[in-house]
Amino acid sequence: MSDITLNINGETRTASVPPETTLLKLLRDYLNLAGAKLGCDVGDCGACTVIVDGQAVNSCLMLAGQADGRDVITIEGLATRDNFHPIQQAFENNGALQCGFCGPGVILAAKALLDENDDPDVATIRDALAGNLCRCTGYTKMIEAVQVAAGELRAEAPQQLSHAKSEAAS
Amino acid sequence: MSDEEKVLEREKVHLDTALRDPEIDLRLPAVVPREPYPIETLVPEARQQTRAVGQRATRQDGRLHGLGQTKYIDDMSFPGMLYARIKRAGIASARIKSIDTSAAEAIPGVMAVLTGDEIPVNSFGPSLQDQPVLCAEQVFHAGDGVAAVAAITEQIAEEAIDKIVVEYEPLPAIFDPVEAMNEDAHKVHAPGSNIYATKAIRKGDVDKGFAESDHIFEDRFTTQMIEHVSLEPHAAIADWDANGRVTIWATIGRITLARADIARTLSMPMSRIRIIGTVVGGNFGGKNEITQEPALALLSKKAGRPVKGVYTRGEEFTSTTTRHPIVMDYKTGVSNEGKILARKVRLVLDGGAYCSWSETTLGKACILSPGPYNIDNVVAEAFVVYTNKTMTGAMRGFGAPQVCFAYESQMDDIATKLGMNPLDIRLLNAFHEGSSSPTGQVLHSVVVKESLETASARFRWQEALT
Amino acid sequence: MWYPIGFTVAANPSSATVRVNEDGTAVLLTGTVETGQGSLTVLAQIAAEALGIATDDVHVVSADTDTTPMDTGAIASRTTYVTGNAVALAAEAARDILFDTAAQMLGVKASQLEAKDRKIHVKGFPQHAVAIGDVAQRSQFVLGQPSIGSASWNPPTVAMDPETGQGKPFSTYVYATQIAEVDVDDETGEVDLLRITAAHDCGTAINPMLVEGQVEGGISMGVGMALQEEMLFRDDGTHVNPNLTNYIMPTSLDMPEIDVDIVQGFDPTGPFGAKGVGEPTAVPTAAAIMNAIHDAVGIRITSLPATAEKILMAIKASREQEQKRLSA
Repeated sequence: MSDITLNINGETRTASVPPETTLLKLLRDYLNLAGAKLGCDVGDCGACTVIVDGQAVNSCLMLAGQADGRDVITIEGLATRDNFHPIQQAFENNGALQCGFCGPGVILAAKALLDENDDPDVATIRDALAGNLCRCTGYTKMIEAVQVAAGELRAEAPQQLSHAKSEAAS
Repeated sequence: MSDEEKVLEREKVHLDTALRDPEIDLRLPAVVPREPYPIETLVPEARQQTRAVGQRATRQDGRLHGLGQTKYIDDMSFPGMLYARIKRAGIASARIKSIDTSAAEAIPGVMAVLTGDEIPVNSFGPSLQDQPVLCAEQVFHAGDGVAAVAAITEQIAEEAIDKIVVEYEPLPAIFDPVEAMNEDAHKVHAPGSNIYATKAIRKGDVDKGFAESDHIFEDRFTTQMIEHVSLEPHAAIADWDANGRVTIWATIGRITLARADIARTLSMPMSRIRIIGTVVGGNFGGKNEITQEPALALLSKKAGRPVKGVYTRGEEFTSTTTRHPIVMDYKTGVSNEGKILARKVRLVLDGGAYCSWSETTLGKACILSPGPYNIDNVVAEAFVVYTNKTMTGAMRGFGAPQVCFAYESQMDDIATKLGMNPLDIRLLNAFHEGSSSPTGQVLHSVVVKESLETASARFRWQEALT
Repeated sequence: MWYPIGFTVAANPSSATVRVNEDGTAVLLTGTVETGQGSLTVLAQIAAEALGIATDDVHVVSADTDTTPMDTGAIASRTTYVTGNAVALAAEAARDILFDTAAQMLGVKASQLEAKDRKIHVKGFPQHAVAIGDVAQRSQFVLGQPSIGSASWNPPTVAMDPETGQGKPFSTYVYATQIAEVDVDDETGEVDLLRITAAHDCGTAINPMLVEGQVEGGISMGVGMALQEEMLFRDDGTHVNPNLTNYIMPTSLDMPEIDVDIVQGFDPTGPFGAKGVGEPTAVPTAAAIMNAIHDAVGIRITSLPATAEKILMAIKASREQEQKRLSA
């Protein structure tokens, strides 16, 4: 058995799992985080996408042991009690998800993009989502939603900066 | 504020008294009366509008999707639940000589094993009941199921099906639908003919129409086998209670048909079957009939525990329905002005190993094949043929995309030959309000020309041509 | 293109039950299954429109053979049209019970009433109104008549003659046009999709945002059918590519810019004029792309998918033909 300790959505969690367990199985079966989905189990479809140390990865291709000591963000970690994440809000308002199965993976791939690039153009967004297959939507509304979310995040950013400054001062 | 007060403040629920107050007018600023259904309104408030039709209302389930809160079948689990796997034939056409499940049964953790001969009525299908739940005597395509196992983990179930030994006697096989139409071709479901359904439409006199035509075009078009690839694989969970009632959660788009099929295959009354559909992660036609549900129900009955089965991505390709490949022969006669005078269509659909939704596909493809055009003289003949490949069934369009590819490709060829604008030749021939369809139906609410004109204007078609 | 709504001739009924709660909100029971297309939202909108309340006031319960009424299912693009009609009729039946109560409260006949803005008021005299919540309460607790309505609907068809196929196989059809713009690389045969313009008829668009979503999704299936997807078999009938690595389907990089227009239409046989749109969106795309390729490089592909190899071979063949013609 491998003993694993990792930081998931800001919380430290531990688990003891058979060594061949993938990160996807760890999340779904051991940690009750069923947001990441099993679509193909071989890294072709992206439904299992999560963010590990800032990078969007296919969790079905990563062993749980390889995630030991890392920071993982899953879909469950985006919204707070009071607010949705701007990407989730934009996806809802623009009707970007239909059956929703690819949704968590796409939203996290978009978040990984927007964390690095706060004003991506359409080609860059398409590139970032290229690893996530969607059969229902044709991707069009998702791309629009990511652009809307990028705008929201840019508008929030200066307020966060000034908030941080006032915290430092007090 | 004390901590308790802060919690209460956050938890406060505000009663919405608006529902009971007649004085409040809840409509947004009035829309011009001539347009009964407002088209564009503010999205977040759209769900609050009392003229609900025409609103860009957001989806409540869309919110849950974005939060990852939607429960698909694979996200559900029950205490004591087992995992099922189905052994696939791997051979396209063979007689089953024997199935030995003893090695699988001996594996610790395997709680139930099922073979086709244990199924009370081992056949199902929306029109022809030619598909077995699990093959007992013969396999008809490489993805056919021959045995099923329920075990305490997926890994053990996977190991168990590998240990099941099946002895096959290979039989001849046929893969090309046109070849399969010959009387001396191998009969997939002997002794019946490989052509398992036909459809014909005859209107007017095509020979006369061709004789009067200035130009005749003859072309053959073919399309490929396609898989739905819904992101969520087929999944189901079966569970019994002590009153002999089975509950099945399934990714099926037609729960009443599913209940009828389970009742038939398991020889049970319908009142003892409950089918619950959750949110399906994409259907597109591939989840409109039962697949593994009867097998899961029987495994659950044998093991006395809930059983979950989720198809692998590979099984989605090998063992679920696909889109019919069609060989389409089109012969069209036109006048010099571009008016279609006669059209003769012959369609040969590759019907796969089982009928599934082929009769419906056949019918629709045949009816739609002349295109949305006023043609006085039409003959359309369609055949669907068994082959030893994955069964073909319902998929978004039921044959329409295939025939549209054919008749619209030919239309542009005709336009080129006659030196006409592809838009004009279509406007000349298109249905209008009150047109008669190939089956003699008077059509209403016809907007073919409007759609041609709207798309052309948006695309800036006329400018693009110059 | 044209595409029918509902089953071919065969009966495909849907039934629905609408209950108005005593606070004026409602619950809709339907046997249909949500498969991603947003049908539950559309049905809620139809029920809300018929009851005169808002979409948010309607809760939809679906897909349980024990508790929801029979529905033929989410297939053949029939949900908005067939189930929608059943829902509208059921909502009207529930509303009629409320009208009976409101008629007494307002001192008029039930036929003089209409439901709008969460109120029931006298036609032509909106100031004579009662809140729908008050009516529902009174109906249930004073008169002992809870508001509930059930209905079913089946599209009227006529069987097709076995010899000539003449008949009325479907109650209604939808129509659409798609236009594609491509760039073909004549050295590699690769097709770059630049733009697709789609104009689709769906009768009244109950929810235009969801219609657009269906058009865009259908086009992505059409693109895959046109250029990429194919299940391949070996000579012995075993599968070559039963996986997503080798079964190529459209990713976000393969999709072009899409313009969607909803063609104005109204079908009197549908709920508030609506028809359907789920499947038609995938129908004309492959043809549009093939015609665009024909326009770009003058070759006609007659077998799908139009892979780069096929296009390149066709370009080469047509050039050789040209050369023969020039030299002859």
